[in-house]
Amino acid sequence: MKISKKLYSYYLIWPALLIYSIFFVLPALTGLFYSFTDWRLDRESIKFIGFDNFERIFTDRTLLLAIKNTAIFAVVTVLGKNLLGIALAVGLNMKLKSKNVLRAIFYSPSILSVLVISIVFTPMLRSDGTINRIFDAVGLHSLNQAWLTNPSIVILTVAAVSIWQHTGFQMAIYLAGLQSISKEYYEAATIDGAGSWRSFRSITIPLLLPAININLMLTLIGGLKVFSEVFVLTGGGPGNASQVVGTIILRSFGEGSWGLGTAVNTLLFAAVTIIAIPLLIFMRRKEVSE
Amino acid sequence: MNFSRKMAWRNYLVEGFLILASLLIILPLLIMIFGSFMTSTEVLKFSLRLPDKWMFSNYSKVFSEGGLGRAFLNGMLITGVSSILNIFISSAASFILVRRDTKLSNFMYMFFFMGLIAPMSTITTIRVVQWMDFYGSITSVILIYASLNTAFSVFLYSGFIRSIPKALDEVAFLEGANTFDVFFKIVTPLIVPVNATVAIMVFMSVWNDITIPLYFLTDSSKWTMPLSVYNFYGKYSRDWNLIFADLVLTSLPVLILYLFCQKYIVSGLTAGAVKG
Repeated sequence: MKISKKLYSYYLIWPALLIYSIFFVLPALTGLFYSFTDWRLDRESIKFIGFDNFERIFTDRTLLLAIKNTAIFAVVTVLGKNLLGIALAVGLNMKLKSKNVLRAIFYSPSILSVLVISIVFTPMLRSDGTINRIFDAVGLHSLNQAWLTNPSIVILTVAAVSIWQHTGFQMAIYLAGLQSISKEYYEAATIDGAGSWRSFRSITIPLLLPAININLMLTLIGGLKVFSEVFVLTGGGPGNASQVVGTIILRSFGEGSWGLGTAVNTLLFAAVTIIAIPLLIFMRRKEVSE
Repeated sequence: MNFSRKMAWRNYLVEGFLILASLLIILPLLIMIFGSFMTSTEVLKFSLRLPDKWMFSNYSKVFSEGGLGRAFLNGMLITGVSSILNIFISSAASFILVRRDTKLSNFMYMFFFMGLIAPMSTITTIRVVQWMDFYGSITSVILIYASLNTAFSVFLYSGFIRSIPKALDEVAFLEGANTFDVFFKIVTPLIVPVNATVAIMVFMSVWNDITIPLYFLTDSSKWTMPLSVYNFYGKYSRDWNLIFADLVLTSLPVLILYLFCQKYIVSGLTAGAVKG
């Protein structure tokens, strides 16, 4: 008995399709168009200006710095959240007495608002704040830093706060992946004389690929779209030292240079797509061949 | 046995190390919680200690001065309606996309999936909302959240609906049911656990967000908790005890949700980890 696919009529898709198209796709497409115009708050007419906005982005020092900072933030957080996330997940997948409590503790910051965590860390990161005082107390005075006011490290500080908050989320996905791996593989490997490093490399990593895949994608895309952490912790400062693409868009919006703002957004869109899609395809292929 | 003793030692070592590491997570949170009960001078040390005297009045003060009651209700309204709307539209769409399995429906799946990758175009979204003449309204924000979360929800629902056997639909169709009946009477009862997962995931991300209210809610009487707290933080930057009380209050709804609905969060994460 085979029933016609036509019985599943398309009208149930319409509500989702309409809302998604009007409030997500339409703005994305018009954004593409406006990024080639001189659209401004204080101008009546809109003129097509070709690649002028993009030329400005790549010659303006602040905008270039924002792009560089976004890249640094993305790379550092991808590495930090995933390496620490796997390490925590492997540790908490062992037979430990306190594993349930520990899992809950490590996961808990990731359910809170970025705003909450960023405000909590602000006084702790001051020159006379909790973190420097702890370094003093244990005799590591040389590690003291002006975490949020030293232009050369400020973006790393923001990245560290983000790693602190979200590694638990990555850990939870890795844990779910680890728990789907059958214990028998490890038993067989132990009988064959494989050590724990060898088991980790030859069993855990390949079978964890779906989780690694989704975590790399999530952290990378999230890293490139970073906004709230920077907005609350530094507001892009000191000066413009920690501006990222997300805060530049807010600034262009506030200044009324909307054409430039949409151009920055288009660039972000291009970057995310160019990096994410090949990675997605590559990881898929790898998974299949395992 | 020698081998199991070695294993036990290794476990103790790992456990000890992880407990130390967990202190790094707990300490900042405790500084916030204890600080929220301190006086405004005591809190300025920002170190881990119990308050000399527990100032419960900080919390009532925050409510009266920070306008948090209003913000709480706004947040509940925006978060609640956008989660329910999102559940309804995404599950209905996923049902058809999965069951049709044609070139067109696969293309539409990819169309939705792009939403997981592409960043939102904020400035032109404002433009679109202005064209429709409801910029600054709570309704616009609800619709924006519903659309922003569609991609993720369609991804979760599709995976689950694929595992429901088609035979159930076929029997119903043979008895003369239409798509609407099959979706609401057969599929909807089966996807209740996924609905819970999606509702919680959407609730948490919407409740915690500051970006959309920052751009789209220009009138402070419509602000959600995080944005009100951000504003309060700017105004009362000396009274850290009150700021901390504010932060604790903003976090309570998601913490409560997490404590009671952990298993749904875990199943959402598992879907991602196992299917990729």
